[in-house]
Amino acid sequence: MTGWLDIQAGAPAAIRHPAIIGIAVFYFVVVSLIGVWATRRTKSASDYFIAGQGIGIVTLAIAAMASTLSGFAFIGGPGLVYSVGTGAVFLVLSASITNTMGAWVLAKRMRLLGEARGLITVPDAIAARFRSPAAQGLSAVAILVAVIGYMATNFLALGLVIDAMFGTGLTLGIWCAMLVTLSYTVAGGILAGVYTDLFEGLVKTAASVTVFYFVLKAGGGLAGISRAIAAVDAAFLGPWGKMPAITALSLFFVFGLGSLGQPHVAHKFYMLRDPRRLKWYPALMSVAMALTLLLYVGVGLAMRAKVASGVAPALVRADDATPAFVLGFTPSVVAGIVFAGVIAAGMSTVNSFMNIGAAALTHDLPRAFGRRVSDELRWGRAWTLFLSLLAVLVAQVSGTLVAFLGIFGYGLFAATLVPSLAIGLNWQGATREGAVASVATGLGLTLVFETLAYFRVFTLPAGVTVSGLALLASLLVFFGVSWLTRARAASQLDADVKLVMEV
Amino acid sequence: MTTRLALTALVLSCTAIAGAYLLAFLPGGAPPWAPWGLAFGSAGALSSMMALGAVRGGRIRPVPLAAAVLTFLVVFASFALALVLPPNEGPGAPLLLGLPVRAAIVLYGVGLVPILFLPWMYAASFNADTLSDADLERVRRAGAERQP
Repeated sequence: MTGWLDIQAGAPAAIRHPAIIGIAVFYFVVVSLIGVWATRRTKSASDYFIAGQGIGIVTLAIAAMASTLSGFAFIGGPGLVYSVGTGAVFLVLSASITNTMGAWVLAKRMRLLGEARGLITVPDAIAARFRSPAAQGLSAVAILVAVIGYMATNFLALGLVIDAMFGTGLTLGIWCAMLVTLSYTVAGGILAGVYTDLFEGLVKTAASVTVFYFVLKAGGGLAGISRAIAAVDAAFLGPWGKMPAITALSLFFVFGLGSLGQPHVAHKFYMLRDPRRLKWYPALMSVAMALTLLLYVGVGLAMRAKVASGVAPALVRADDATPAFVLGFTPSVVAGIVFAGVIAAGMSTVNSFMNIGAAALTHDLPRAFGRRVSDELRWGRAWTLFLSLLAVLVAQVSGTLVAFLGIFGYGLFAATLVPSLAIGLNWQGATREGAVASVATGLGLTLVFETLAYFRVFTLPAGVTVSGLALLASLLVFFGVSWLTRARAASQLDADVKLVMEV
Repeated sequence: MTTRLALTALVLSCTAIAGAYLLAFLPGGAPPWAPWGLAFGSAGALSSMMALGAVRGGRIRPVPLAAAVLTFLVVFASFALALVLPPNEGPGAPLLLGLPVRAAIVLYGVGLVPILFLPWMYAASFNADTLSDADLERVRRAGAERQP
């Protein structure tokens, strides 16, 4: 997540090529037009938070893909491949499975819960499943902590890219990124977000496929790339790259199972117009993700091959892999599409987090305390503005703080939401006590161990990641506490929720 | 396979991963066979979670069951081969579809092969096993009845 922060000021002058800047300006114009269009159609809290349950399946799948793959997929990911080889692919390797798994585990149940209860947030689903305001409140707190970090990270990264392209300076770049994203999010809500995500997803996919063509062309095919790398660094192309096997497999576990706890993706299931269209969701999402991840895998390998064969100098920063490749080995128009794709990736992710963060403050936390906000649309917009300002301030105060907050977002979502949401919606024996204990365990362990590791007070042994440990502990606590309190399970399940879990 | 069996498989998978993590705390670090716990556990966790999600009324139908079992076999076999095969990634090493053999098995086996069957098995089973019009109507009725 934080890896793409390092596209620092002082980027090559080639990034200011007229074609690149022209494509970026065109991109901003299209996003603005979508925002204006969506604003005119946003009239209620349901429109603002779940697009009035009016989204088609193709839009849903592409938008979910766009918000899943942040700027990390275009900058940090290829940089990681450049650094540690094939081991870096374990972060995204499970994408071939997670979309179908998510459809079976979450999509149908959440969409049907939305149908029966009119829910609008992920903590809503947890509260409905367990009749537990405490679980709703705790999961909303976890979401807020992660959302601030994600938003600040992406604002800082977007500011760096805008500064590199337009020479605005970092501070103004950050504010520009925030204002553009905020303007369409606060006015058009998730409706604007979903349709800009659709556009941004198409930009990302086009950029990825095009760049992969140039990867193969520049490297002499995958075989040419492999031979060039093998000549100088055999371990780079081992099955785990330069990571220990246990670390790579741990990443596969966290990013695979953890995909079921990502609220910005799960929340989109509420928006689907017709639940019967879910039939094609895994196919659309899997193909779109596979195409969009070609750049992630290809660019890091191609740049390593170019450096190995002496065609390109060694990169000072691994995160320069994508900028260096597209500026050095593709036409300016392709580079423009890629940089627009980087901006698209950041903005689509930020937009989703603005929305779920505002929903946590407007909807989930008040309900956890037994209160209801009278005008959720107005307050949703106000909290979106507040969160954006807070994230921009965090982004400007300290790059170190941003990096720290950005590190654990994915793991925090996974450890706090997977047991109560993904298993809870599929196991009638789960209990409210198990849900509350697992959310608290995931939240506590992630915050404590990430903080200790960040300040180098205590680090886990090689191969054990904080996110893996926290996810595992919250799962085991969920099973254990639910088993101990199993006598209460049946009484905590409403009839309509039970029906949703059975069909 | 029932809900209970899927849950048992999920708990066993988590236990295997926990075992691998515990081994990493040993003095001198994790032994060379520790990754087997994660290879088995991660493949099992994803497959059993998929099976759990596909259960209807306490039972799982043949197509989703086959999808879960096939996923486990493909993922675990790919990881197992990568762990068992001797390293051979140096200059002149044989390539499989452009990559050294062990990397190709993992990247193509886990990263691509499941796309060839999973989404299509989901779609094939959707009308019969996953969500019918009658189910949808029952949920809508239950929701309407709950409204004050």
